Amino acid sequence: MADFPQIIDDKPTSRFLVPREAFTSNVTFERECAAIFDRCWLYLGHASELEPGAFLTRKVARRPILFTREKDGTFHAMFNACPHRGALVCRERKGSARAFMCMYHGWTFGSDGHLMTLPGSSGYPEGFKTDPQKQLVHVPRMERFGDFFFISFAHDGEDLATYLAEAGDYLTLVSEHSASGMQIVGGTQEYAIRGNWKLLAENSFDGYHAACNHSTYLEYLKNANGALGATPLVGNAHDLGNGHAMVEYTAPWGRPIAHWVPLWGEEGKVEIAAIHNALQQRVGPERAERIAHKNRNMVIFPNLVVNDIMAVTVRTFYPTAPDYMEINAWALAPREESEWLRKYRLYNFTEFLGPGGFATPDDVEAIEKCQQGYATGGDALFNDISKGMNRDGGPLFDDEEQMRCFWREWDKRLAAVEA
Amino acid sequence: MVIDQIPENTLLRLAVEDLLFQEADLLDQWRLDEWLALYTADAHYYVPPSDVDGDTADPDTALFYIADDHIRMSERVIRLKKVGAHSEHPRSKVRHLVSNVRAHREGDVIHARSSFVVWRSKDITSDAFVGHYLHQIVQADGVLKIAKKTCVLDMEALRPHARISIIL
Repeated sequence: MADFPQIIDDKPTSRFLVPREAFTSNVTFERECAAIFDRCWLYLGHASELEPGAFLTRKVARRPILFTREKDGTFHAMFNACPHRGALVCRERKGSARAFMCMYHGWTFGSDGHLMTLPGSSGYPEGFKTDPQKQLVHVPRMERFGDFFFISFAHDGEDLATYLAEAGDYLTLVSEHSASGMQIVGGTQEYAIRGNWKLLAENSFDGYHAACNHSTYLEYLKNANGALGATPLVGNAHDLGNGHAMVEYTAPWGRPIAHWVPLWGEEGKVEIAAIHNALQQRVGPERAERIAHKNRNMVIFPNLVVNDIMAVTVRTFYPTAPDYMEINAWALAPREESEWLRKYRLYNFTEFLGPGGFATPDDVEAIEKCQQGYATGGDALFNDISKGMNRDGGPLFDDEEQMRCFWREWDKRLAAVEA
Repeated sequence: MVIDQIPENTLLRLAVEDLLFQEADLLDQWRLDEWLALYTADAHYYVPPSDVDGDTADPDTALFYIADDHIRMSERVIRLKKVGAHSEHPRSKVRHLVSNVRAHREGDVIHARSSFVVWRSKDITSDAFVGHYLHQIVQADGVLKIAKKTCVLDMEALRPHARISIIL
């Protein structure tokens, strides 16, 4: 008998149950930190966020990270703590710097983390400055897949491409929106939810909740652009391996790459058609069809969401407690996009997504209400995630197979570590 | 000291304060249609994120929290009146505090700058949004109307807040 709340996964009887204790237990949370956040590849950032000579600071799984790019273009991910007394060395969110001086005693480091100078060096023995223990510590592993940078706090384990499995092809697919490369648009949505982090993983690709939870958004679409019904919400769920999964489907909203809706006018129709043609030339008709007309919500285990929907959002989130998480979300867009289309892309994004959108606040409400509901305890021990488990022809986008992929990986990883 | 004449700029500020206080009061009472009527037909309502300069950021080139034109402001009001707007059903208790109002004219447009704290309270949650408003106000048919409102959050992130489901 395992000493953590295990899932019940029984295909013959179509039973898939997740114990609610998984969302509330401090012991399970600590076990997740060891089994998942200290072992998996975690998203750090996108290459477009750093010009040569630039830096940014960011927390990844509660750890402060300094992400730099040297003048020669080399990227580094380091723990943002001084080897001397442990103070945060860089206290700015982003900028451009050749060196980072710790404000406590003045130890100064290069953008590759090496100790350049320290005041009062005569007080230290020869060779002190070059001692490996006195440099900024690099994160054990950093790898990139295209322009997406990931880090791992584990010294050993599979490489990033192996870890990503089939999810890698979908990161490639989203990169193929652009001929000149994708970029993170300025402006980060930084918020929090008073709920367990796994509730957001589930919610990020839950096709089942849209009709009820987001009824007002769907009504708005109908009101605002008259397009609802023109393209139905229809699609499938896909297991991408290693706990990654996605849903791929058609939907009534406009896509900047490249699905036109009446709201965008005749002028927009011409521009979207041109983008669609160029896309077909570049990636071929089959791939162009998917990029242009199919939406994808993908969760890369454990906590990277890449939703290629009415805009492209990159979203990551980390728990600080079983019932609280911090979320960062960005918009990803083609570098060469026209001013007109960039405006519509961002208009699309804020319409649905984020704390001020017409949909995300209701997702938040659902997640927080789940967390509150778990306080009932008693005999209500399990969540049901069985929808479409034995559907003929495979699971649909509004079944729950994608979540089952997540939960099987979660269960496997927690079982693999010593408590 | 005797003041025998009220400076014109003070009168302007009083007129602007009246409008901003009315706006705050309507929002606190959830009288959203009347709130919308304070705005011109080509108005905009913006909430920029915390990692850009909110005073100057452009919603056409940076990702905002809220970037509404008048159509979407109207749709926001329609949505918030529905039971299906789950985040605000039942409705939050809302209190807008507006202070430090400054106003000046540039041509036909009155530019107002003020400080705000907006409290949203609902079941387990009581969150304060702190920041400053930038209002652009015009005179239309003898009354003052708001043409643009930008709510710049003087916060490092929207935390622990999870949402801006009310109107700031």
